[in-house]
Amino acid sequence: MIVKLIRIEVQSRQDLEMIDITGQIERAVADSGVRDGLVWAMTTHTSAGVLVTEGIECLERDVLAHLERLAPKQPPEGTYGYWHNRYLDFDGRLGFNAGDHLKSILSGVNCIFPVENGKMVRGSRQKAYFVEYDGPLARTVLIQVLGEGSTNDKT
Amino acid sequence: MRTPGIDFHTHPLLVREMVERHPELAKAARETYYIGNNFQPLETFHLELDLAGIEKAVVLPMDASTAAGAVFWTNEHIAELCRMSTRFIGFASVDPHRKDAPERLTCAVQTLGLRGLKLNPPMQRFFPDDPLAYPLYETARDLGVPILFHAGMSWEPGSRLQYGHPLRFENVAADFPKLRIVLAHLAWPWVVEAVALALKYPNVHLDTSALYFDNPRDFLRFAMTHQVPLTVFERSLRKQLVFGSNYPRVEIKNMAAAIDALGFSEECLNMVFRRNADALLEAGR
Repeated sequence: MIVKLIRIEVQSRQDLEMIDITGQIERAVADSGVRDGLVWAMTTHTSAGVLVTEGIECLERDVLAHLERLAPKQPPEGTYGYWHNRYLDFDGRLGFNAGDHLKSILSGVNCIFPVENGKMVRGSRQKAYFVEYDGPLARTVLIQVLGEGSTNDKT
Repeated sequence: MRTPGIDFHTHPLLVREMVERHPELAKAARETYYIGNNFQPLETFHLELDLAGIEKAVVLPMDASTAAGAVFWTNEHIAELCRMSTRFIGFASVDPHRKDAPERLTCAVQTLGLRGLKLNPPMQRFFPDDPLAYPLYETARDLGVPILFHAGMSWEPGSRLQYGHPLRFENVAADFPKLRIVLAHLAWPWVVEAVALALKYPNVHLDTSALYFDNPRDFLRFAMTHQVPLTVFERSLRKQLVFGSNYPRVEIKNMAAAIDALGFSEECLNMVFRRNADALLEAGR
């Protein structure tokens, strides 16, 4: 049984942004020595997400726009407010990004793929994205590969 | 579309490259400023400026030798950071309790190339109108550099609000008419008093880096339309208001968007975001 965990840093450049990390996950699988098993990726942040969708620019825009509609950074005036809009003494600042935390919950923070014959298995249109909801920031994504290696490793 | 601006109030507390070179700076961020966010590469600071339509940022140190027994970010740290990026404008910090305070400011400006002085009366524990600080004010005036004063509310647990009340700045403004003074954070909650000072004394400026509840949009609208009508800023104080964010307590993008949304004319926005800061900084060159 092989278990490999790597950390990658993703630099977002926009407030809301989808960043394709499929290649980095595939590389992690290739470097792991795992032949059959699974790989999963998870962001360590609560105002960012990881999701899987078709890798085309128009959908990237739709995903971000729809999440912003569902969990707006600032709710329409006269509707509702966020309890999170208050001073957080443990952070030394106000927490006025509840909408971004809610988007993170809606999208989720991880994804998982099978590994077969040393390769990540995914649908032909599927891409794995890191999604920034409160950028620009340097963010951390964990990628863990688990499974059986070559025949000699099956002990 | 407004001119790319200057953020007159940022703290480079989270710049990872500086923390890696000087590990003691991590303690300053966590234990003095209580900033819990992750350290970020310098690139993040640049991207934050880009996203907010800001070209340059004033970066601030803190010398609280007497009050806290420590210099949390030194003038040399600020000068080092400014050598890493042309987008930073370094200010000095000097403890006014020190007898050599005027010489230290002169050195910071003439040797290190810093372009203003930041004083934080609550953190440095002095009243702005205490004569002990007057030699420092005389030096700043003679050097032609502005002083950015913390004013109003302070989050730091060891600080006392009384040191930041705007009326404690009146004697300074009156006694040093050629000294250019910026009161930070709109001196909130005493915005009315701060505006009164600025209306009376043309050498008093205000920076916008105020956020104490809700979010930047709602807070600044409260302070700059309800506490004091926006027309007072637009018509009477347009030359005395500068944009400041207080990053990283709040992101620059959010504060800039909040000021953009207040309803200022484009001409006034260009003054607030750029021309007034240029004027404050250029006089000392």
